[in-house]
Amino acid sequence: MGKRYVERFNTAERVLHWFVAASFFTLLLSGLGLYSRLFHGYFDLFGGGVGAILAHKYAGAIFFVSSLMLFLNHAKEMFTFDEDDRKWIRSLGGYLSKNPEHINSGKFNAGQKLFGIFMGGATLLLGVTGVINWVPESFPRGLVQFSLMLHGLLFVLFVMLMILHVYLTTIGNPGTLEGMLYGNVRRIWARTHHPKWYKEVEGE
Amino acid sequence: MAQVRMGFLVDTSRCIACRSCQVACKAWNHLDADKTVERGSYENPTDLTPNLYNRIRFLESADAGGNVKWLFMNERCVHCGDAGCMKVCPAPGALHRTEEGIVVFDKEKCISCKYCVSACPFNIPRYGADDKVTKCHLCFDRVGAGRLPACAQACPTQTLQFGGRDALIAKAKGAGKKLYGENALEGLGVVYALEEKPEVYGLPENPSIPTSIFLWKDVVRPLGILGFWGSVAAVVVHYVTFGSRQLEEDGKGKGGDAHG
Repeated sequence: MGKRYVERFNTAERVLHWFVAASFFTLLLSGLGLYSRLFHGYFDLFGGGVGAILAHKYAGAIFFVSSLMLFLNHAKEMFTFDEDDRKWIRSLGGYLSKNPEHINSGKFNAGQKLFGIFMGGATLLLGVTGVINWVPESFPRGLVQFSLMLHGLLFVLFVMLMILHVYLTTIGNPGTLEGMLYGNVRRIWARTHHPKWYKEVEGE
Repeated sequence: MAQVRMGFLVDTSRCIACRSCQVACKAWNHLDADKTVERGSYENPTDLTPNLYNRIRFLESADAGGNVKWLFMNERCVHCGDAGCMKVCPAPGALHRTEEGIVVFDKEKCISCKYCVSACPFNIPRYGADDKVTKCHLCFDRVGAGRLPACAQACPTQTLQFGGRDALIAKAKGAGKKLYGENALEGLGVVYALEEKPEVYGLPENPSIPTSIFLWKDVVRPLGILGFWGSVAAVVVHYVTFGSRQLEEDGKGKGGDAHG
């Protein structure tokens, strides 16, 4: 009971997460100009469109591998939903309530699990469509056309969820970011947000 | 007053497949020859290449009596009024329209994304060894100087008629020709007078921007920008109205473990 902190993410997990994050932002900046001519100014960050496409391909490969690893490392937890998780989903985690009801979440709450599943699926699809868009001559035209559209659609959903992710892990829930920066979270944070997990760790 | 839209009227019934157009195009544009194989047809090459901006497509069929029938069609970029390639091109100026309505490319500005290859309703753009876009640019340099495109200059049968688009269409209609591409895609710059249905020539019956490309550029793209700002707004509104989740001090406060 003496310690103020509880370990949430070990060094390997944190390094992997920041690989995903860094490659994501590289993909975002290099891909914006490809998404729409409105953003062609972002090409300049990479010395022009050719450089941006090259950066997009390298960052894409790093993102695909690291994001899929992150997902697979937690896949079992992501796909396990108990009664408390169903309760979380019904009340949307209490985020739209001034007096949220008690939800006894484990290490990851239902929202985080759904986010993780989306990330895993989207990574896979963005990777597959990315390769198709990369060498369009090797695939049927109809497939490439669909793939270009799907890549754009997934990108949009991805960015929208990323805005939510950054909000919820920073100013939305103070104390959360510490876990991904230093590995440890305060005990009170763990007990507040993930009581079931806190009890497990404390019981060790 | 805008410049009159220029274009071709391709009267396939006049074509004798001499392929002067192919040769003249290569000469004017300094395009290398492609190595081909003899495969029992005068049609050569069998497809557009990065070094072949226009070619004569041969359609050979035989009836029950063994009589061979030939149809010839000049295949090239048709300079759509609503061009799929321009719609998807992310590099400003790499594909652009001249004041005559000609869709031209600029290799210096092309960033080799190949989106135009997939977005073209007619499968025209080709990428060469330099990984840059090529296609018929309707000799915009010659046209800008008031001359005929090289292919039209060389055509001995007036199959390739170049001039003001409206006048060419009116003339062909007056002669009772059935036209292809008059209105599709805001009017093709290359309008065909065909002897058979478009499908026979391998042309789409009703050419249009591919559905997925339309969804990508005209639905996903604008909704995406809305989605981005909508998400930012939702987060800001949530922060202002519900606020962040404060952690209760140890042992104090009933809401200590109330949140998920």
